[in-house]
Amino acid sequence: MAAATLNLLSIRASSSSSPSSCTNYSSRITPHISFYSQLSRSTTFPSLSFKLPNNSNRHSAFIIVSAVKKLSELEPITVPSKPDDFSDELPSDSGVYAVYDNNNDIQFIGVSRSIAASVLSHRKSVPELCSSVKVGVVDEPDRTTLTQAWKSWMEEHIAVTGKIPPGNESGNGIWVNRAPRKKPDIRLTPGRNVQLTVPLAELIDRLVKENKVVAFIKGSRSAPLCGFSQKVVGILDSQGVDYESVDVLDEEHNLGLRETLKNYSNWPTFPQIFVNGELIGGCDILVSMQEQGELASLLKK
Amino acid sequence: MGVTKEGVEATLTSKMNPTHLEVIDTSGGCGASFAIEIVSEQFEGKRLLERHRMVNSALAEEMKEIHALSIKKALTPTQQKAQQESSNTQAA
Repeated sequence: MAAATLNLLSIRASSSSSPSSCTNYSSRITPHISFYSQLSRSTTFPSLSFKLPNNSNRHSAFIIVSAVKKLSELEPITVPSKPDDFSDELPSDSGVYAVYDNNNDIQFIGVSRSIAASVLSHRKSVPELCSSVKVGVVDEPDRTTLTQAWKSWMEEHIAVTGKIPPGNESGNGIWVNRAPRKKPDIRLTPGRNVQLTVPLAELIDRLVKENKVVAFIKGSRSAPLCGFSQKVVGILDSQGVDYESVDVLDEEHNLGLRETLKNYSNWPTFPQIFVNGELIGGCDILVSMQEQGELASLLKK
Repeated sequence: MGVTKEGVEATLTSKMNPTHLEVIDTSGGCGASFAIEIVSEQFEGKRLLERHRMVNSALAEEMKEIHALSIKKALTPTQQKAQQESSNTQAA
């Protein structure tokens, strides 16, 4: 409980940006940080380890240098009110960010490839919860470093308040955009060793007739493996349409799909896009239709 | 021994009777990749998919050797005229 109180104090202190209160706060919170470092592997302060003589040897092997400053060391940035100001006020780089409400309570800690864009989208979806943010830019943003930075902030927050930020609790869908892009690709069969009772062509037929929009692409929708497929996924995403995708290169679950589909649709190449059970075409056609504005009306039908 | 730009042009000219045809070799010389812009009377009343099918079937022989065929435009002469006029007015 003492820790939670101190944390609130610390946020208020740092947000007031007066030098004296900052000094004050850091001297107060130090004992709690060292307490936390005993529990956490992600401590970034080598100086703390000599304060913990009993544990320093055991823990030194686990010290991972985090790429970002600690939450408590950062000044909050007020979330801009105009969308145009976001790229000026906030970095468009990769990194971690913590969103504070107007009570200076952390609502959400996120990882992003563009912090400004992510905060802007939060500001749009939940403006009442986005008062200020703290941001930590990660210079070499590989997945491990980003995850590590996020973990260090989460651990710091949990150590101080004993709670997970409300937006990071499982089942809270306010902050994490469950975009259609994350939908899994459809697999036509359970695996290549499973004997099909229905011909593949019939599976294709059912699939395209039971779903409004189906894209047969090379690679998965989250990582298309050819430029044309990528473009198709991009266009469908930009149209905001709910669509299914099938990876024609998945030899484990869609064995023989490429040949069967070419015959089924009488179309020689991939990607192939079906709307209402009918082949619309490949990438070129989709691009043309989008340029002409025909695509939006087709998808509305 | 791939397909040449001239070969594709000749086939399309004889089979599609285009009023405008532009074939661009995008393969860098090996003849495996082409981009096409084509305007033909034969596209009248046909959906884009059918137009692409017509081009693909006209090039059926060549397609055996072509890896990538990108049909940038498949228009009727009327559409081409309309597009040119709209782009002219935009320019002016």
